[in-house]
Amino acid sequence: MNLAIETKDLTKTYKTSSGPQSVVKNLDLQVERGEIFGFLGPNGAGKTTTIKILLGIIDSTSGEASVLGNPAGDIESHKKLSYLPEKPYYYEHMTGVEIMQFYASLFGIKDRDLCERLLNRVNLGNDMNRPISQYSKGMQQRIGLAQSLLNDPELLFLDEPTGGLDPIAHIEIRDLILKFRDEGRTVFISSHELSDVERICDRVAIINKGELVHQGRLDQLLSGGRIEITADNLTEEIANKFRGDDFTVSFKNGRLIADIPDSAHPGEMLDAIRAANGDIVSVIPRRKRLEDLFLESVAGDNVLKGRKMSKMTDDHNAAEAVEVTTEEGAN
Amino acid sequence: MNRSLMLAGLAVCIAGGAIVNRMNYPLWQENFSPRKDSDLRGLSGDQLLIALAGFREMVAGILWVRADTFFDEGNYDAILPIIRLVTMLDPKQIDVYATGMWHIAYNFTDEQSRSDRRYIPSALALGAEGSKNNDYTYELFFETGWLWYHKIDDDYSNAAKWWEEANKRKDMQTARKNILAMAYLRDGNMSGAIEHYEELWNTARDNFAKNPNDFQARQNVDTLEVNLDNLLVRLAQRGNFAIENGTYDQYDYDTRPPYDVGFTAQVTVEDSKILRVEGTWNVQPVGTRVRIVLRDKDKPNLRPAALKWDQGTSVDLEPEKDMTFMQDGLFVKNQAFFRRIDMARDPTMYPFNSDNYVIEFYYNPRSAPPHIQDRFGFNGEGMTDKNYLNTEVRDGQRVIYAQLEISRDELLRQGEWATRTPVKRTIGFIPTGARNTEEVINVPGLRNDVQEGQ
Amino acid sequence: MGAILSIAKTTIGEAIRRRVLLVILLVGVLFLVIAPGLSVLSLRQNYTVLTSFTLGVIQLTSAVIAIVLTVYLLPNEVERRTIYTILSKPVYRWHFLLGKYLGAVGALGMMMLLMSTVLVLVFRIMQQQASMDDVLQLATAPIFFFVQMSLLAAVAMFFSTFVSPIVNFFLSGGVYLVGTLFSPVFQDLSNNQTLPAAVKGAATVIHSIVPNFAQYNIQGGIINQGPELRSIELYYVQIVVYALFYIAAFLIAGMMIFDRKEV
Repeated sequence: MNLAIETKDLTKTYKTSSGPQSVVKNLDLQVERGEIFGFLGPNGAGKTTTIKILLGIIDSTSGEASVLGNPAGDIESHKKLSYLPEKPYYYEHMTGVEIMQFYASLFGIKDRDLCERLLNRVNLGNDMNRPISQYSKGMQQRIGLAQSLLNDPELLFLDEPTGGLDPIAHIEIRDLILKFRDEGRTVFISSHELSDVERICDRVAIINKGELVHQGRLDQLLSGGRIEITADNLTEEIANKFRGDDFTVSFKNGRLIADIPDSAHPGEMLDAIRAANGDIVSVIPRRKRLEDLFLESVAGDNVLKGRKMSKMTDDHNAAEAVEVTTEEGAN
Repeated sequence: MNRSLMLAGLAVCIAGGAIVNRMNYPLWQENFSPRKDSDLRGLSGDQLLIALAGFREMVAGILWVRADTFFDEGNYDAILPIIRLVTMLDPKQIDVYATGMWHIAYNFTDEQSRSDRRYIPSALALGAEGSKNNDYTYELFFETGWLWYHKIDDDYSNAAKWWEEANKRKDMQTARKNILAMAYLRDGNMSGAIEHYEELWNTARDNFAKNPNDFQARQNVDTLEVNLDNLLVRLAQRGNFAIENGTYDQYDYDTRPPYDVGFTAQVTVEDSKILRVEGTWNVQPVGTRVRIVLRDKDKPNLRPAALKWDQGTSVDLEPEKDMTFMQDGLFVKNQAFFRRIDMARDPTMYPFNSDNYVIEFYYNPRSAPPHIQDRFGFNGEGMTDKNYLNTEVRDGQRVIYAQLEISRDELLRQGEWATRTPVKRTIGFIPTGARNTEEVINVPGLRNDVQEGQ
Repeated sequence: MGAILSIAKTTIGEAIRRRVLLVILLVGVLFLVIAPGLSVLSLRQNYTVLTSFTLGVIQLTSAVIAIVLTVYLLPNEVERRTIYTILSKPVYRWHFLLGKYLGAVGALGMMMLLMSTVLVLVFRIMQQQASMDDVLQLATAPIFFFVQMSLLAAVAMFFSTFVSPIVNFFLSGGVYLVGTLFSPVFQDLSNNQTLPAAVKGAATVIHSIVPNFAQYNIQGGIINQGPELRSIELYYVQIVVYALFYIAAFLIAGMMIFDRKEV
């Protein structure tokens, strides 16, 4: 009952000329209250479709979805959630504050102060009386966030919230999202901007071609990284203690370089080194990154290869992910 | 939302709309339908489209503007389709109907200003349609009546019928109401005329009593009084009341005994399609026009010395192009008439497509001036002719009617007639110079001016 | 209700700024202003031509505006994703549809009010002989054109829940034409006792589905001032009630489709 979002076997199938095509397949999601949940996947993986189902904008073909304890699309839930679509358009003839008042009125709120406060909160206080047509992309995204706070939501759906924004805007938006969590809100971010998500999400789900590939706490999902410990002034005897499955150890002239899985209790080892009066030169955690996980998840899939690669690389962040892959592959 | 509830709502709305629409239809028909009788099936597809289209009033207006320039140019043929189109587009434009009727009936003439009477049924049909579409106003009823009364000048019961309708309309002008009595008279309906005058007179007196300072009201009473007075005296002197009472034979009325008009005529085909008509009419005072008609011998829609004018309400602006129908008036002066009728210059009006034709002479005192009617009576009881008095061609009337047959070859001076001059004569034709000048009509009149023409 | 009105208000605000609509409106107003110049051609029928022309301009312009305005309302919202921000609020789809429709009618009303004002001014200035009563009588026609256009907008709104704007443009325009030109014919046929039952039935069905736009063309009585119209108040009430029924029907049908539509 504590789940903000839960889906069971959620499936959405479209009829196409080449037969039925499932955009979302048997999706089981659990989003806990008060967490930032990253919903990841390449373009076309079914992220936006899932969100639309959760918002009741479209109906699922089969399966169940509940949002804030109510079936998806329930108007009662809509009072307590908000949604920021990817690259939204706002009525350009209206000013910032008018847009806010318009959305407020949809909740039956007539509080102009609230609108202004929220605009101030997203740093649009000075621009609130300018028409939206004069707003930059980042400003439009910020006003999107501001309008999404009008109803003091328990749950926010943010679809690619940092898409197409410059680095400074990125940071601003990220900080805002973190604040949302601190205020106790649940944030559901759909994104393919992995670096952002990695920094702020508590848990993630990765979907590919409509299917859930991974779901879990980020630290758990990213476990399995390695740690490189370098120490001097050690004896062979001590060095020999560094043996185990999947250990790569070299010892030469009193210097130990051990590459161990982070599950191998590196603390104990460091204690042992200190106890032997050895000098710890460096402890370098080589954590598994979200990119790795993401690429593992979609590995073997042509999404990131060949023809579709170029499509991905249109996007700055995707390009970054590809670079990392190459690097890792070289190691 | 509950879908079955919505479905129910949808059904209720459609049913409600349909019911309101049905309730509203008669009002729409009456107030806004382009056709009063709503018989839209009578229109062809394109006519229907035009008749129902939006902007039709606008298009009608613009077209009528265009017709104006055609009037100025005298391009009368071009106006006909415009009149038809405009009246279809905007059947409420009574001006177009009225002008159109008048134009069709009066404007199509030959080079000698004889009307092309083949168009008259169209004009009447237009009037009938216009009055049907605008039966709130007297105007088109009045106009149509006027066409019967003045242009056709032969069938006054129809004029009376239309004017009766006109009089029923609230907007009928008081001054125009009198004319119905004239139509009754010419139709031979004396009591109708008297009653109508009396009714108008009473109304006028009531009106004057209410508005004693209104000069117009006073004048109206006076006019009606004089009219009624004159009528009663005239009818008495002509013996009309005596005829009703059965005492006509016992007294010496103005119309007794019937006077022999001594009609004779001769028609000479001077040249192809050119007639010289001469003849005698033994009546001294001026004011007599003897109708002459030249027409196909066998064609439908004809009657003696006339067409069947009333050919229904469907307006067809194409006259019967095949038909030849010439009508003219022979004006009598010094007890004789003479006229040269040239039909050679109007081949469309006189196509001469038949082989055989008749020339008709016709006289009916109903449309004669009062001083002549005083002697002849409304029904011709004071008139006779030893050869051509006819009581058959017009029901209940004594008219003068003569018919001469003539062939196409004779008229066109072709074949054997190329060198011989065809001459057609009535019985006892008296050459103009050889008349018996002693047979002078004695016209007892009420007033001196009656004699002035002599 | 607040949400519906807000959506309506926003829709009006956007519609009255749409360039294509303003251009159409401008052309209409232009024609109204130059109309008196056109009727110089006609001396005899001056008043008739001027009234019929100007009312015709208002009607045609309004019909084009009504269709162009309405066919894009829903598709634009979907295309620009604004609909998602709205539907994710506690707003029912029928709220949205109704709000959009009311907005369309509101914008249409404002534009028609402008044209009617120009019409009255033109007549006050150019037609000095027309009394104020004449002018006011003249101005009743646009009122019923407005009712007609509101019905047309409901038709276009209905179609916009399942066809593309271009198709909708021709579809709504077609329904308007058929409803204007043939409603009396269908009605006539459905009332005709001499026809076979099948023909009568078909005519009745068509007549019940295609709205009767013809009955709002009341300008005939105004242009030709003679006829005394019978029970005209009742007639006016009935055509307004009819419009309300049919607008409701088209909106409900639209809502039912829109409710199931994947946007």
